[in-house]
Amino acid sequence: MGRPYGLLRAGFPYLKCLSMRRTTNFPIDIALGKEGRLYIMCRSDGTAMIRKYTVDDEDLGTIGGYGQGPGQFTWPVTIISDSEENLYVSDEFLHRIVAFNSKGEHIGTWGEHGIDAGQLNGPAGIAFDAEENLYVVDSLGHRVQKFTKDGKFLLGWGSYGDGEGEFQMPWGVAVDELGDVYIVDWRNDRVQKFTADGDFLFEFGKSGSGNGEFNRPAGIDVDLHGDIYVADPGNDRIQLFNAEGRYVQKFLGDATLSKVSLAYMMTNASPNRMRDMADLEPQKYLRKPKSVTVSDDGLMFVPDNGCYRVQVYQKQAVPLTEQEFSPPLRSVTLHQE
Amino acid sequence: MSGNDIALMAHLMRRAGFGTTRAELEAYLEKGYENVVDELVHPERGTPIDEDILQRYFGGEGAYVGIWIYRMLNSRCPLQEKMALFWHHVFATGLSKNEHILASSNQIDMFRRVGMGKMRDILLELSKDPAMIFWLDNNDNRKGEPNENYGRELLELFSLGVGNYTEEDIKNCARAFTGWTFGQPIPLYPHGYYTPSFMFVEEEHDDGEKNFLGHTGNLNGDDIINIIVEQPACARFICRHLYNFFVADEPQVPSWNVTPPNDADAIETLADAFMASDGDISHVLSILFNSDFFKAARFMKVKSPTELVTGIVKLVGTYQRPEPGMGKYAGATQLMGQKLLDPPTVEGWHTGKEWIDGGLLTSRVNFAVREVSDASKPGIQDIITRLKSNGNSLSPEEFVDKCLELAGPVEVGDTTHQYLTQFAEADGALNFEDDDAAAENQARIVSLLQLIVASREYQFA
Repeated sequence: MGRPYGLLRAGFPYLKCLSMRRTTNFPIDIALGKEGRLYIMCRSDGTAMIRKYTVDDEDLGTIGGYGQGPGQFTWPVTIISDSEENLYVSDEFLHRIVAFNSKGEHIGTWGEHGIDAGQLNGPAGIAFDAEENLYVVDSLGHRVQKFTKDGKFLLGWGSYGDGEGEFQMPWGVAVDELGDVYIVDWRNDRVQKFTADGDFLFEFGKSGSGNGEFNRPAGIDVDLHGDIYVADPGNDRIQLFNAEGRYVQKFLGDATLSKVSLAYMMTNASPNRMRDMADLEPQKYLRKPKSVTVSDDGLMFVPDNGCYRVQVYQKQAVPLTEQEFSPPLRSVTLHQE
Repeated sequence: MSGNDIALMAHLMRRAGFGTTRAELEAYLEKGYENVVDELVHPERGTPIDEDILQRYFGGEGAYVGIWIYRMLNSRCPLQEKMALFWHHVFATGLSKNEHILASSNQIDMFRRVGMGKMRDILLELSKDPAMIFWLDNNDNRKGEPNENYGRELLELFSLGVGNYTEEDIKNCARAFTGWTFGQPIPLYPHGYYTPSFMFVEEEHDDGEKNFLGHTGNLNGDDIINIIVEQPACARFICRHLYNFFVADEPQVPSWNVTPPNDADAIETLADAFMASDGDISHVLSILFNSDFFKAARFMKVKSPTELVTGIVKLVGTYQRPEPGMGKYAGATQLMGQKLLDPPTVEGWHTGKEWIDGGLLTSRVNFAVREVSDASKPGIQDIITRLKSNGNSLSPEEFVDKCLELAGPVEVGDTTHQYLTQFAEADGALNFEDDDAAAENQARIVSLLQLIVASREYQFA
């Protein structure tokens, strides 16, 4: 893809569901690997692990585990992968970043708890830029910091507040292909966009449940069209915004049974009967999704935190040239051509 | 302010809440006793706990009990949580039967929401609660084939008490609740718990004439509840429960029909308030906490495991903000005989002295001693700082009295006081002049606090 002049949005259909309870309990984030590999970060009270998975619903085992030792996590928030498929995980309780290779071997840990520049205080969202430097959202420090992959501090900005460039317990971060940085300002119910060095560009969102509004937004991603995806767990949805931050649509969930779920249900007569007695509509909905990750080929992966699964959607959009996309209109219109 | 003021406020907050940090206790004292009671019985005027923070940091249905304990520790409306615990005890519903933690936790949330309102509303919500419906089989209660389990317990254990209704009343009560069930929730696998919701199935409801406590007609569940809450027996029964929970230990509930209350006048006072206010629980609680019989009841109740655990955690000052590991406190109360969300029977937990036997006492003492063993915890550090503020040196007796004061105040008998003083005297005065003695002092303070929380008196609220 690549950022087009315009976009004909053909649709964004639900594609499939992955995994189930027991395999991916309380998925909080997902990282995309190569050849269809996925790394699903799971977190609940007293439990944490990375579940290695595939887009074909195959379980490839686990990486890491709950604890405070090397290669363990206590309160993991975000998982991302670099160009070599090494994995980086933020831990907001241990105030550190933990790294693994794709085989699951622990290859490093860094981070020192504190409030000085380069120290971490509740690291939540993390994202690479094109040079694979790491932006880290310091949730309890109400700021953003940039590090090299091995933890050397480069720069930072932000302070507590609700003005431009200020944050209240920010959560997610994304970096677009142009290097601009998007921060989810959790308690302020908004997203702020900055240049790579932290100059404020614009913001969007406010508190509420209407379209384009947020109830404590969490994770964020940006695709190659510049479209912005924001997890809105308080409203049980993902919201899609265009590159200017204008609301486009929302995803409430469309889940069907995953391959592994179907196999499970075929061996369990009792829940099959109960399902037959139940109103099944709620099963399709997202519950408290805390992150969203979009692949370069337009697959949107939503770790469905309260439903122990991942919902996958496929973006269908046609890039438009200047000839195919008329100039911006100053006002809305009722003209029909 | 007098020592008695402090002791009385600490008493109020042990009973109406889950204890306090010293700083909280002092803040309450500034407000004055009656104002604090007024604040406690009106949680709607206060600032609720930050639900967003709970959502952000704690996750998973299995964490519910840990989160509930976090609420007990940090709610700015602690009586609301205490009343949720109270109704959980009175309307005991066991997770072991329904195995649906979302249904059980929703019930606790319901108690939090309505538990300080009118008795009529509380019983109506209870009768529509899926966890209760399943617990007492009202989902099997149908026209022509009634299941009387819920109807019986509603009268016997939830509202009137034995001796205040007939077997015929039970049968008619059960008929009135036919068709009160819930919609089948989507099963746990593969995608988690789904909330069951109350459902009235008209074709399963018995529309025939019923006779209940002197009333005749086509009575339904709502009518039954309206009749129940107008009964003086309901007022006396619920108020005896409130007395047992908040004031002083009563005999176990099954004996109430043959054993008069320990303080019949107090129960009548509360019951009068109940009847005069149309069953307004907040009003009854206000009367209770402002009464002389409540104020005189210091340390006359054995702490429940939940009270012991939360009181100790308050004392050591941890978990004032989200941290991992709340689940261990759920495990601790269970080890002491109170598995939250899963009372042993529909009678709830047996209270008072039955909270304690040899094994359970060991669990209680071990827990308390272990929790205060870490001098780095903020509550212990606060005690050390406050001890230092009393001068450069404390005599052994001053050392004991100050620690008893700062740990509660805890009121101990002469024998306990004598043992504590003997312990303190072994190393002489507590001397803060010498910085080198800081580590030694810290160890001595921790040891003395461990002895205090291990004392017989500390088992009482």
